[in-house]
Amino acid sequence: MAKPNKILGIPRRNFYGIIVFALILSTVPALLRFNTYYVYLATDIILIASLVAAWNIIGGYAGQLDLAASAYMALGAVVTGNLLAFYGLTPWLGIPIGVLIALGVAVAVGYPTFRFGIKEVWYALLTAALVVILSRIYWLIYGSTETYLPTYEWSWFYLRFNRYEPFYYMLVVMLAIVLWINYRIRHSKLGYYLNAIREDELAAEALGIDVRRYKLYALMIYATLASIIGGIYVCITGVVGYRNFDPWLGITTAVMGIVGGLGSVEGAVMSGMILRTLEDYLRGTIGSQYPGSHLLVYGIILIVVGVLKPEGLASLIEYVKKRIPWLKS
Amino acid sequence: MPKTVLRVVDVVKRFGGIVAVDHMSMEVYENEILGLIGPNGAGKTTLFNCITGVYRPDEGDVYFMDEKITGLPPHVIIQKGIARTWQKVRPFKKLTVLDAVTVGALLRIPDVDSAQEKAKEVLEFVGIEKEKWSRLGSEITLIEHKLVDLARALATEPKLLLLDEVAAGLRPHEMDRLAKVLLRIRDEKKITMIVVEHVMRFVMGLSDRIVVMHQGRKIAEGSPQQVASDPKVIEAYLGTKPL
Repeated sequence: MAKPNKILGIPRRNFYGIIVFALILSTVPALLRFNTYYVYLATDIILIASLVAAWNIIGGYAGQLDLAASAYMALGAVVTGNLLAFYGLTPWLGIPIGVLIALGVAVAVGYPTFRFGIKEVWYALLTAALVVILSRIYWLIYGSTETYLPTYEWSWFYLRFNRYEPFYYMLVVMLAIVLWINYRIRHSKLGYYLNAIREDELAAEALGIDVRRYKLYALMIYATLASIIGGIYVCITGVVGYRNFDPWLGITTAVMGIVGGLGSVEGAVMSGMILRTLEDYLRGTIGSQYPGSHLLVYGIILIVVGVLKPEGLASLIEYVKKRIPWLKS
Repeated sequence: MPKTVLRVVDVVKRFGGIVAVDHMSMEVYENEILGLIGPNGAGKTTLFNCITGVYRPDEGDVYFMDEKITGLPPHVIIQKGIARTWQKVRPFKKLTVLDAVTVGALLRIPDVDSAQEKAKEVLEFVGIEKEKWSRLGSEITLIEHKLVDLARALATEPKLLLLDEVAAGLRPHEMDRLAKVLLRIRDEKKITMIVVEHVMRFVMGLSDRIVVMHQGRKIAEGSPQQVASDPKVIEAYLGTKPL
């Protein structure tokens, strides 16, 4: 077997895959005839797909059931949003500051958590609690009032637009970057070590892996990406409040990652897109007639998927790959 | 006088009121296979865990190459050159055989491509067929699991290898295959080994020297023949003769 060629540290095949995927996605607004509502939904779907892809690093590769995606995302959002609303600071600076704060929280939570060996369901509980705690802290500081960001017709400087297309394309780029980082990790020492930790922590440690350190690396990369996505998100919605810290979003992110098949970023992105589309569709159809019923149907579909395909959507991708020989490397 | 690789001095490990390892001392010499035997619950696996850093001994010390390693975490101990396999196989189920061994090789070779080359070399050495390399950990048989575990440990380039019941659950011809691999590890790679084993035929044929443990203590030590005829050993395994 020849040594695989690499571009930017990832296999050529994955690199072209990302490019083609991004190009296909960039035609979507035109296909939707630039209808504002539909483009908004498309933007939302790409945003969730990026978030699930970022979650794949901690949940899929490192195997830690993290339910705090919305905590890191909201930290990016409220920092960026408040700096813009109160000090007129451009999100181009606000987002990096948000990232630093999210990283600080990730290390402050992750270091002792991994040091004391908190894992599995206890890690899930702890991260779920983190969202609620941060939400309460924010509520104590800023109260329940929501802050609205200043509006601009078309400002790249303040990242505020009266259309959704700029955000859509920004998020397509973001998704491509998150995918690249995923592949980059998978084909590096970090990726091998994280996979080993997911499969068997004790065996991994006996092979010389400093389990705590590598888990913390994974958490930091994931928190960084989630907070950048949050910074973009707040510019889309234009509202900052304690509701940004949404436990439901943290759980759905993990659910989408699990349905996608742990450790497969293609599965994660696919499941993020399908499930979010489904959720939005159900909300728009039966949800408007019987409020809340879309969540019921959504839950039933999740259970059916879980029973029929416990390996996740990634196993479907593998199945298709085995049937079509030229897709193999 | 052969060089001492590992020295265990007066190690004690308690779990609540139970003394699993009770003032155990032993030495392991360079390039030998030391068989560590004893009835169930004798404390063999606990001693392994004390050496490899899974447990911290309550008393006593462990020296590796004259360096004190008592209480160091497992990932540091393997860096010093002590690798192990597990009583119950601990496969990376969702990783391919090659990737699992690559994880081990990455300890000394940080570059993934070179580590993979090293992993292939080790897989060939332990005798896993090429077509098995792309199988997942969940798709291989028990003997292959044992060999992959062994390859994973070997890929870290250890000086001392601790094998915890490698032969358990294997068929006789599989044991012979494994024994050949272990002898090649000693002779070609010059790696010292401690083998914990219940299967007497396997361990007696393989070991250069045997240490017998019973109730956390060493009760006998010597060549396989000496140990097999030691009355204390017979008593530990079979009980005393009825009157």
